[in-house]
Amino acid sequence: MARVFHATAGDSRTTARRGSASGGRAGIVAGYLAPHPPHLVYAENPPQNEPRSTGGWEVLRWGYEELRRRLAAHAPDVLVVHAPHWITMVGHHVNCVPRSRGISVEPIFPHLFRYHYDFATDVALAEAIVAEAADAGLVASAMRDEGVRVDYATIGALHLANPAWDIPVVSLSANNNPYFYSDAALDEMETLGAATARAVERTGRRAVLLASNSLSHLHWDREPDLPEDMGVERPFNHHQYAADMELLKVVREGPTERLRAAVPAHIAAAQAETKAGSLTWLLAAMGWPAVAGDVLAYGTVIATGNAVVEWVP
Amino acid sequence: MGALNVPAAAALVPGMPHLLAADPAPSWTALADATRQVGDRLRARGVETLLLLSTQWFTVLGHQVQCDPHLSGTRTDENWYAYDYGHLRYDLTVDAPLALAWADAIDAAGLQARRTRYAGFPVDTGTVTAAALLGPFPLAMVSCNLYADPTALAAVAKAGVAAAGGRRVAVVAVSGLSSGLIPRWITPAEDRFADPEHDRWNRKILDALAAGDDVAPLREEFARAAQADSQFRAHAFLAGSGAASGRAEVLAYGPVWGTGAAVVWWEG
Repeated sequence: MARVFHATAGDSRTTARRGSASGGRAGIVAGYLAPHPPHLVYAENPPQNEPRSTGGWEVLRWGYEELRRRLAAHAPDVLVVHAPHWITMVGHHVNCVPRSRGISVEPIFPHLFRYHYDFATDVALAEAIVAEAADAGLVASAMRDEGVRVDYATIGALHLANPAWDIPVVSLSANNNPYFYSDAALDEMETLGAATARAVERTGRRAVLLASNSLSHLHWDREPDLPEDMGVERPFNHHQYAADMELLKVVREGPTERLRAAVPAHIAAAQAETKAGSLTWLLAAMGWPAVAGDVLAYGTVIATGNAVVEWVP
Repeated sequence: MGALNVPAAAALVPGMPHLLAADPAPSWTALADATRQVGDRLRARGVETLLLLSTQWFTVLGHQVQCDPHLSGTRTDENWYAYDYGHLRYDLTVDAPLALAWADAIDAAGLQARRTRYAGFPVDTGTVTAAALLGPFPLAMVSCNLYADPTALAAVAKAGVAAAGGRRVAVVAVSGLSSGLIPRWITPAEDRFADPEHDRWNRKILDALAAGDDVAPLREEFARAAQADSQFRAHAFLAGSGAASGRAEVLAYGPVWGTGAAVVWWEG
């Protein structure tokens, strides 16, 4: 097992962080589009992950390095992540296990991702999100079962944003159906986002949100012998690339309100993974702020489009 | 790879864990009993190994073949964990020599096999559920690639049959029909099809299978109209094995949390 820093939710360290950056106010202080391809974790060779690589996908990983610098400056109490590969068919689930630990062998990419995880959950905030979501009419569940394996989209985004794991976490599932190409109901993600914002406010947390989504999502159905062979890494086709650029143009120009229309259009054009709802949840939780996003990096992973983006409300 | 083999039988069985519930709905009981009946028939025919595909082991790169000879543990389902059937013990024997031969045959067919053998690998709920009901057969398991064309799954099944050589095998697909769920927590007594149109489509497909008709031309329309589980790739797999031809016998059909599920048998 790799060495992992453990933080207890709501301890004195989190209060001490308030002295730095952004005036120390509570609330949602930043949101990031934080894609989770396991390749990025694999390429980094962290001690928690068993497979070893020779690198690859550096531009995206440099974007994450910048994200980490900015995240540290925001000094959050908690990272709240919505991830598309904790798929729950009935309702929205929130991980309320105080300490999640185990090994996550990814069934799709077991050769790249066998990650030993061990992290603290901000249970009070997690429970508040469940309560607010239920009050808003959503089917919401507090997941308290230590046997549920944490998925790679949750771990990937959290590791890439904060490899020290020294900030407590709240993770939300994607209410979806794995057995056909279903879309999340984006209006429900609006409701879930607003519920998340109310829970953050009610608990007085200083939160950073992570939307664990790729963009265009067509990809190869074969892999090169060397997974990190960058000689074959490229967009699936120009249409997929152009659709991503069109979305990112809107992101960079702002304000986020324009994304209410641009995200569904992008999903239709590029089979985007944002159909799982993570990005809509994030922007709704932030109240669709009248700001532009800062694109820290863009790159493809097995042909899918991935962007690391920051919004500061 | 051995001589051309002929599977003893083929079957479609559900993978929803509700079939193992301590307090089941009537349809769950009927589907579970029918799956056990499939297991009895396979034993009666001297089947040595099952070539098994579960659409709940869905993948996107190549075709993964489970090569770990022994899989044991507890499957905690990430959606159904609050129920007794969300915690399933399993102890599975994998026919590793056949699995490796299958992977070689997949490669030889021009597809990409991915040999999977990792400690802690999460066996999917569908495989665990079906194995519990069918009985302790050695398994050769392949994943369901959702990005590959269904014809690729047909080739994968054909490769499995060829790899079996003289071994007496049967082909099993663990999958559902319509996949529209009831999107709230229900009691077993409340279970019914989520959408009458899904039920109509399910019956249309099952009637066609029972009549011995080729349902492949209906697959895409079925997938759209009834949100078919994995676009009904399960049928492509069964048909590709050569064992799911002619008239099928529908042993059970009913809802599982709003989805459509059936147990279908083809004599080899």
